[in-house]
Amino acid sequence: MTLWVLIGIVIKILMIVGITQGTVAYLILVERKIAAYAQDRIGPNRCGAQFGLPAALLQPLADGAKMLLKEDVVPKYVTKPLYILAPWIAIVTAMIGFAVVPFGPVGPNQLIDFQIAPNVDMGLLYVLAVGSLAVYGVILAGWASNNKYAFIGGLRSSAQLISYELPLGMSILGMLLLAGSLDMNQVIAWQSQNAWGVLVQPLGFILFFTSAFAETNRLPFDLPESEQELVGGFHTEYSAMKFGMFFLGEYLHIITVSFITVILFWGGWHLPFLGLTPESSGLIDTLLKVGIITGKVFLAILFIMWIRWTLPRFRYDQLMDLAWKSMIPLALINLVATAGIVQLVRTYWN
Amino acid sequence: MGEVVVARILFLAIAALGLLAALGTVLSRNLVHAALHLVGFFFCVACLFVMLEAEFLAAVQVLIYIGAVAILLMFGIMLTRNTRGDDATSLSGPWRLPGLVAGLCLFGALVFGINNAVSPSGASPWAGEAARPSLVEREGEPAWAAERRRAVEDMGRVVGEEFLTRYAMAFELAGLLLTAALVGAVALAHRDEVGAAELPPTVEALPADSAEPVGTAAS
Repeated sequence: MTLWVLIGIVIKILMIVGITQGTVAYLILVERKIAAYAQDRIGPNRCGAQFGLPAALLQPLADGAKMLLKEDVVPKYVTKPLYILAPWIAIVTAMIGFAVVPFGPVGPNQLIDFQIAPNVDMGLLYVLAVGSLAVYGVILAGWASNNKYAFIGGLRSSAQLISYELPLGMSILGMLLLAGSLDMNQVIAWQSQNAWGVLVQPLGFILFFTSAFAETNRLPFDLPESEQELVGGFHTEYSAMKFGMFFLGEYLHIITVSFITVILFWGGWHLPFLGLTPESSGLIDTLLKVGIITGKVFLAILFIMWIRWTLPRFRYDQLMDLAWKSMIPLALINLVATAGIVQLVRTYWN
Repeated sequence: MGEVVVARILFLAIAALGLLAALGTVLSRNLVHAALHLVGFFFCVACLFVMLEAEFLAAVQVLIYIGAVAILLMFGIMLTRNTRGDDATSLSGPWRLPGLVAGLCLFGALVFGINNAVSPSGASPWAGEAARPSLVEREGEPAWAAERRRAVEDMGRVVGEEFLTRYAMAFELAGLLLTAALVGAVALAHRDEVGAAELPPTVEALPADSAEPVGTAAS
């Protein structure tokens, strides 16, 4: 019995690793296509045309081969162990967050638990903890590179990530208060019975999504790498697959953040008028739930990519002002107000 | 019986790694390497929390100590003049003996405190033999089993309740201490306008060969 459980978990891990890595390859293509559209270009359209495939569907293969076959330069003046460790930290911390993310229905009477570690009662705390480790990849890369640009990039990013972790953590507390649990399945169940998180916690959603941009180093907040000032920032000295691993880690982070957004604020697998409940467990219902959650995640990712070509980069003092002077106070107000309302409702309503 | 042996081997391995990391923290000549060893030690402590089935504490340990405290430490090191962290960091001669005495006193106090821990009257015994309660209720189980089962299954809630009831005083005192430290840090870092004008500009004050990344030499 336990052996089969173990084998099932290993299969789930392999599938999720494979699927997410493949998704990342195609997300890069999607991003390039969106970038081209935003800039009135055509974008990649050749790879795959030889085999009759439309829209450069083989471009990810070409990109991957390029990353693997390029010369892997390790400069003489770097601190070698840390220089090699940093990209691994970036990719591993981005990967292990998926351990507690539910990809579909999870529960005792479901067909399969769509989660590697089902029903972890502190799932969200785990995601936050793992996410806070990601900064080590960046700061170590910057320090070990022994290069001014890389070093400044690393310092900038550590300050930025520490600052935005606070509103990120505080903005979800309101939602957790409402749902009364750190378990993501319970949060989805609460939303399917009451209302989507974005409706009951609009301020929390905006704060969370904004800090998520900062945590993933996406464009309005991409000061750690800003090409124009820092020649690429912390990964200036990295080449070939080591650079590719940073890239991969960044996109994996985007997927994780989108999943958390969908689960916390967009109702998870819930859609109004479909009549799905946490208990419904037929084959069609299960497929519907998985389809809805991945569809919503894809929408969130598209939204994140769209923002990139809409907003210019912040100046550094503006970035810090935004976090400390407006987002953290707003998150505190949101938390206190939610706690007060929850207490009033629980006292006088039922 | 097999599980006990595995648990013991895991414990010994994690504890040994933790001790190695702690030694590395103390003995590293490079400050950044020392900070990284400290991160490794924090991680071993988190692993021990997991082995004690205190997953909530493990997550908090990673979130606060590794994700915030150690990062701030490294940030602090990298913002000082000793950017590469490779100045010698050993304790200067006359402070060695007092340091040793203070360390041994702390060690003695911790050993004494841990060996003589007492629970408040009326509460379930948390110290002593740690037995995992069965997940389902059984007849004739000891009185603490129900409470401990609740603690294992819903640790976040139980930790929060303990903070607001039994340990409210300690919790508030820790908060006060942190606030005082914060105010002190602001007071130390803050200089009024007149004072700032008299200070020498820091960049020119640097010695030519210290804290310069190699990139300048090449350019």
